[in-house]
Amino acid sequence: MSVNTANAKNMSETQRLQNLSEDELSVELVSTGVTASLFVEISRRYQQQIYYHCRNLLLSHDDADDAAQNTFIKVWQNANQFKGDSRLRTWVYRIATNESINLIRKRKPTIDFDEAQPEMADMITEDLYLSGDDIALKLQKALCYLPFKQKLVFTLRYFEDLSYEEIAVLTSTSEGSLKASYHHAVKKLEIYLSVLR
Amino acid sequence: MDLENEKIGPAYNAPDSYFKESESRLLQRLGIDINSPEAPAPKTEGIPPIEVLMKVDTSGIQKRARKQDPLTSKSVGVDKDVDSFGKVEIAPLTFTTNENPEWVNFSAISEETTGLGESLNITKVTYGDLLNPLTESAQSDSIESEIVRVETIEAASIITESREFAAVDVASTIIEDETAIEEVVLEEVVSETEVSEPQEEFVAESIVEEESTTPESIIIHEVPESVGLDELESYIAPINAPKAPIVEEVIVEEEPQTINLEAPPTAFAPIAGRQKESATPGWLGIAASLAAIVAAYFIWNAIQPPKVEEAMATELQQDEPTLIESPLDEPNSPKDTIPDGLQLVEPLIMGEMPKYKEPNVYSIIDAKEMPPRTKRALQDLEDNGLVTFDMEDEMFEELDFESL
Repeated sequence: MSVNTANAKNMSETQRLQNLSEDELSVELVSTGVTASLFVEISRRYQQQIYYHCRNLLLSHDDADDAAQNTFIKVWQNANQFKGDSRLRTWVYRIATNESINLIRKRKPTIDFDEAQPEMADMITEDLYLSGDDIALKLQKALCYLPFKQKLVFTLRYFEDLSYEEIAVLTSTSEGSLKASYHHAVKKLEIYLSVLR
Repeated sequence: MDLENEKIGPAYNAPDSYFKESESRLLQRLGIDINSPEAPAPKTEGIPPIEVLMKVDTSGIQKRARKQDPLTSKSVGVDKDVDSFGKVEIAPLTFTTNENPEWVNFSAISEETTGLGESLNITKVTYGDLLNPLTESAQSDSIESEIVRVETIEAASIITESREFAAVDVASTIIEDETAIEEVVLEEVVSETEVSEPQEEFVAESIVEEESTTPESIIIHEVPESVGLDELESYIAPINAPKAPIVEEVIVEEEPQTINLEAPPTAFAPIAGRQKESATPGWLGIAASLAAIVAAYFIWNAIQPPKVEEAMATELQQDEPTLIESPLDEPNSPKDTIPDGLQLVEPLIMGEMPKYKEPNVYSIIDAKEMPPRTKRALQDLEDNGLVTFDMEDEMFEELDFESL
């Protein structure tokens, strides 16, 4: 009897959390602290976005899976340190970005983030869960010819629809320079796509 | 292609099954059960500290010296096995010097001021004491008297004889009685030499024959230093084997601890003992110097200008006309001495190349504090392609969770 009551309580709690907006979820996290049901709701809400974000940066499915898993583990471990000064999504994206950068450095310690990594373009067509869209694959290959900073800004803005304000908070960069970087990235990608065609 | 207007979708499309599997895997890793009402709290404390069972008192143990100085500290490793009393024994720290041994003028030290012989109370240990430790106390008086006698013999002229089988000088002295006259026995005398260097270390063994009826006799053999204890028995073999006397061997050995206050052969003697001679033979240095001289000769000849070629060049110059008449239509201008490579670089040096222009790339660090008019002006400059504002490099700093 008590087990059924507890399950019913959990179900209602889960439904309540699902109906919360992102801001309300942030307030819930700051006020009550992290709970299992709250963490499950956060992971379900941002799981796909974080995976695709990591996949765009890392290109490999296995690496993206590892980075996404590590991201949510860090969210669980450091949830009590979230102060609510930024949006919850921005906070999770920042953790995912750092995890991706750490994984890149782990794979290739001598990497220079100011330089493009065109050799990574070969990894795209040989991995899992590709959409099959040719132009999308060419865009992904063209992204390999961008420096990592421009690639990050373009990915967050173009694919994830983050605002410049969010990206500025996420990357600790001014919006003006972000706009410039995004502009340069778009121009370069257009040239690369025309060449790749 | 216009990326802004033609929206391109993502290149990846993972199925929902993957995300469900990933979620369950994540929850399993964190130990979270969704259906459980009491979910575990996140472990933020990390690894608990290990309890210290027993502390070892390390006070007094000096840390390792970082710099090697002329004084080398040499210490025995600390025995970490704690004894039954719970104490750690630390061997004393000893210091040795890496520098050359200092020299002390022993002759300048007067015997009265040192008095080391009395203060140190040096007692001599004989070979007989080592062989017969039990009878040492009983016969100590007689041994001491024998030692005194041996030293008396030593001070006198000891005749040594060389034996063919050992190629050593052996001096045999038979003392027939404690108060008897010394009788020197010469066995197959090949050559006789007197021991004239009392400072050299030597081992003398004396065979004391104690007989009730016959007087006591002591045979002292001088044995070279290189002879070991195992070979020493061959020297102390009794000469008169059938007698089978009670043999007491006394070895008088000048121990290194014995302080000799007599003036050394030279006025100065090293504290650290006698320096070993170099293993390199002397002729090697002579050969090396000769080789160096020969090498210098060949090098000198090699760097000298070839005389034959010089003479030939002089002869050719004398045969050929010294002045070549140039055609009248060519300008007789002085030849440019600048090499071809430098001639190419010369206009660049002289500033004929257009000035290098730095690209207009600027970094904005404090964009938030910038006034709006400045921002607008910078944006106009960037839109017109006049300048490019680079991103700051603060993106990849360590994640600070408290900053958000």
